[in-house]
Amino acid sequence: MDKVLMEQISVVLFWFALVLYVGATVLYAYQFLLRKPVAAWWARFFTGAGFLAQTISIGANSVAQGGTPLTGPNQLMLAAWALVLLYFVIEHLIKLKVYGAFLIPIAVVLMIASRFLGPAGVQPPAPNPLLDSWRVGVHVALIIFANAGFAFGAISSALYLYQGTRLKKHKTNLITRRLPSLATLQTIARRAIGLSFPVYTIGLVLGIIRALETDISGWWADPRIMLSGLVWLVFGFYLLAVYRRGVSGKTASWIAIGGLFLVIVLAVLARTVPVGFHVFGLPPRE
Amino acid sequence: MHLTLVGLSHKTAPVEIREKLTFPENRQEHALSILTSSPAVAEAVIVSTCNRTEIYAVTTSGYDGPGAIIDFMADYHQLDRHELVRYLYISEGEAVVRHLFRVVASLDSMVLGEAQILGQVKDAYQYSLDGGGSQRIFNKLFRQSFEVGKRVRTETDIGENAVSISYAAVELAKKVFDNLDGRTILVLGAGKMSELTAKHLVANGVHNVLVANRTFERAVELAERFDGEAIPYEDLFTRLRETDILISSTAATHYVVTKDKVAPSLRGRRGEPLFMIDIAVPRDIDPACNDLDDVFLYDIDDLNGVVESNLEERMREAQRAEVIIEEEISSFERWIESMEVVPTVAAIRAQAEKIRQAELEKALKRLGGLSEKEIKTVEALTGSIVNKMLHEPTSRLKDAAAEKDGYEYVEAARHLYGLDEEHPKERTSLIRSLLGRPEKAPKTT
Repeated sequence: MDKVLMEQISVVLFWFALVLYVGATVLYAYQFLLRKPVAAWWARFFTGAGFLAQTISIGANSVAQGGTPLTGPNQLMLAAWALVLLYFVIEHLIKLKVYGAFLIPIAVVLMIASRFLGPAGVQPPAPNPLLDSWRVGVHVALIIFANAGFAFGAISSALYLYQGTRLKKHKTNLITRRLPSLATLQTIARRAIGLSFPVYTIGLVLGIIRALETDISGWWADPRIMLSGLVWLVFGFYLLAVYRRGVSGKTASWIAIGGLFLVIVLAVLARTVPVGFHVFGLPPRE
Repeated sequence: MHLTLVGLSHKTAPVEIREKLTFPENRQEHALSILTSSPAVAEAVIVSTCNRTEIYAVTTSGYDGPGAIIDFMADYHQLDRHELVRYLYISEGEAVVRHLFRVVASLDSMVLGEAQILGQVKDAYQYSLDGGGSQRIFNKLFRQSFEVGKRVRTETDIGENAVSISYAAVELAKKVFDNLDGRTILVLGAGKMSELTAKHLVANGVHNVLVANRTFERAVELAERFDGEAIPYEDLFTRLRETDILISSTAATHYVVTKDKVAPSLRGRRGEPLFMIDIAVPRDIDPACNDLDDVFLYDIDDLNGVVESNLEERMREAQRAEVIIEEEISSFERWIESMEVVPTVAAIRAQAEKIRQAELEKALKRLGGLSEKEIKTVEALTGSIVNKMLHEPTSRLKDAAAEKDGYEYVEAARHLYGLDEEHPKERTSLIRSLLGRPEKAPKTT
């Protein structure tokens, strides 16, 4: 099929998905505040339709590019896609719709950021041939899904802190009434991070294996790799602190939020710092 | 026909009067049969709860409906009519619909937003339905009222927040733990209030009850009531490690539970929250305990504060419920309007047919000597003209009748076709009679 046409389809569906996600955000917020079952249904429908549009957009882009680009704005878009997918799975498992009001807006922000933080009008450099390995594809996919899980856990932790603070101060309001109990928020945070951590670990290990295979000197000194290691350490410490040390829910929540902060720093670094900071993003040297 | 309500409630009558006017389940059928045997009452439903006795009726035009119902109440309970009337309220027309919708939405209840009333009205309607007391109008009205009750409960938070101290404790515990199944409570002190709170918690799923009291025998006594375990007083802080909810209500004059004693008990809990309820005055638990991570302490004033804030919240939600009620009243009105359009359309068609027949007869006489086939052709022609002329206005009338204020169209059609001219006094608009809308003043030229 015509490459230009596929690119156009991808762009149109991207904006279509974005509009649907924005609609879903408004509906989830409406459902969260006023508990209208109809709004919940439509929010879910909008999210589902947006997800479908986004999936086709990613597919069309991959056809146009001759593969799914794993660098540049596409990574944020894939992160948004993974987050929505994860949300659907978790909503199906735990039957809690309140998370939609907090996670879908993040997907919207990621999608907008993928457009505006990327190098507008500048063609990304040709990918390094070293990236041409199945391990790199799986590495990026796993890291993206794990990051979505970490985001889920951190959002749950932030809600835990809010709910806990309000309960401690003996002040309830509409938001506290709508939010799940502390125990539920804590359990979801722990499970989301607990499940994401091994995924992240495998993703990192695959990246390291590829790095060792290619034998690039000083690969470990890449700031993104070092920061990824720090993210791994923080979430590893979270699990250790929660399941071994038995730290308080408040402390654990702050650790999770700190971990997400590092993930965001990593994402911003990848967008704003020159490509050379991640050696594998470099085009081959002349 | 008119919608009529005669009743009394906690707002108008003391319990000594309310208890004399109840209609228990086993007497409802009998009471309804007497009530509906009156020529003044076409349909009736008797709602009888501990806080209200209300008789809803569709009363027949030409009779004193409210009077007949009051007579029935006085006779049935052998009360003095004049004495009884002092406590009664009487509503007619749309006010009855509004009142019923407010009752099922629990806006008229003693405890705003309580859930029982909807079930009680459903039972009352079922008795009436079984006994033939509820027919077309009440079948629609009461079924719609149940929808109102359901909508108000699902679309507002009117019944969400506890408005008693012990339920507030349960509600807060659920905000901390979500599900109370399998949770452990420790009751410190064997007072009545802690027992009541523990009872509510057990009713909500808690099944491990530990009781600690300075007098061990009293602890054993209370523990037995919950099928729980009495623990020695000195083991209090050791057993606190396995406790999810602590309820304290001792007679001590100083803090029994302090921050430095609680802190070690929190180790090894893996961040599991500890919910403390101090309902003793003077307080048993040092307020500083609330500073510990994962500890949520509520004393009696905090719980009172929660109850008051919940009441205010319910009042706010009641305003949203009123909006739903207004929507549903409009919907009920539209139903009545749509009921009116069917006989109107039938009357228009009947009148047109009468004219057609008369004119056809005259024409055939003038023409004379037409063959059978020609007569049939003329008949078909006139019938077809009439049908085609009436099709558009009658179908539009049916559509318009389903709209808000559609009865205006029905009234206009009746006026334009002169349908009420033969017996104008006999016919009153259904919506005006049922809902008590005033008749329009005749137009003067």
